[in-house]
Amino acid sequence: MAVQSPRFTVTDFIAVTNQTLEYAYPFVEIEGEIASFKVNQGKFVFFDLKDNESSVGCFMMVFALRVPIEDGMKVIVRAVPKLTKWGKFSLTVQQIRPSGEGSLKKSFELLKAKLEKEGLFAAERKRQLPAAPSRIGIIASTQSAGYADFIKIISDRWGGLELEVAHVQVQGDVAPDQIIRALRYFNQQALPDVIVMIRGGGSADDLSAFNDELLVRAIAESRVPVLTGIGHEIDESLSDLAADVMAATPSNAAQLLVPDKHDIIRYVRQSMRHVLTNFEAATNDLQRETTQLLEDAFHKVEVQFDNYEQSLLSTRSLLSAYDPRRALERGYAIARGEFTKGATIEVETQKEIIEAEVRHVNQK
Amino acid sequence: MSTKSKTVSEKIASLNELVAWFESDQFVLEEAIEKFKQAEVLAKEIESDLLELKHTITVLKKDFSVETNS
Repeated sequence: MAVQSPRFTVTDFIAVTNQTLEYAYPFVEIEGEIASFKVNQGKFVFFDLKDNESSVGCFMMVFALRVPIEDGMKVIVRAVPKLTKWGKFSLTVQQIRPSGEGSLKKSFELLKAKLEKEGLFAAERKRQLPAAPSRIGIIASTQSAGYADFIKIISDRWGGLELEVAHVQVQGDVAPDQIIRALRYFNQQALPDVIVMIRGGGSADDLSAFNDELLVRAIAESRVPVLTGIGHEIDESLSDLAADVMAATPSNAAQLLVPDKHDIIRYVRQSMRHVLTNFEAATNDLQRETTQLLEDAFHKVEVQFDNYEQSLLSTRSLLSAYDPRRALERGYAIARGEFTKGATIEVETQKEIIEAEVRHVNQK
Repeated sequence: MSTKSKTVSEKIASLNELVAWFESDQFVLEEAIEKFKQAEVLAKEIESDLLELKHTITVLKKDFSVETNS
């Protein structure tokens, strides 16, 4: 008995084929090279995905294109296979990402040039981090080594801060949107003093989430200053370039954010030594001044005393010169009495007192 | 002088003011002892605050893997 083949209208056949495809491959990931890339009406993207032997047409909306694509780039697409109503097989692409180092680099350079031209990385857009933040919004995977490093360093260096952590995936296709939502949350609801984006080291592919165009734009548009600490010293993502401040590593982000309390303690102790030195110097100066004043006063008293003594000696010397005994010593005599003829007078020499009679008195 | 209600940054600023006073022309010995005592209190409080203060870490319960309006 012959098996009766199913009979469809063309429309039904296409619908059944699409149902079968959807059942078999709700999503497929296909790696291939881009060819004939074009954007129509600024909304619709068409390209072929090919390898050495085959080629398949792809369609996607412009808003789903998160990284720059051009012909020759190797990519991985996540897509839904579909037969169009014109009977053409096509992939409806939902996500596309560069594959391989060369394509990642090419995509990075293309997007960097585009955003640079728009001024997203301009130095004049950069804001300073708050000098003394008290509330910090952290976007990181709480299971990552980068997050652990950041928390360790920030806790070693400072204390008393409110740290709000948005746990997100920091690699893979879903990472950019999760990070964008966390940025939005901090900008619209939590409003911390600063937002820190943390991710430890990884391969170029691991870090590629931070080169997502929408994420880079969200960072540039953030009302709250953004600090990034992504990867190692040598890694540079477009998120880093759009951030207000870029730290070399998660640990370095903690260092840029808060001072080291051990430095502050050293500074405080040094300040106290300085104050004590000033205080001691002031009291020593005062003591020296007082001692000097006392010495000056004593010296002045001494001088006055010497002057007085000198004056006394001079007076004594003068008085001594007038002493009649000095004249007697030199051989003079003192005569006392009434100097008239026949009168008796007293004559005093150095050694004797003589009684004598006046015989003559001649006027000189 | 009670400085307990001040933040560490405010205490450091106050200490800096006192240090500057000791180096300024306003320095007078009669006030220096009181100012020195104030500086000592601040220095001790800053040190103990810095060594004792811990961060408050809150991991948000919000699920960022899904789009929500809140």
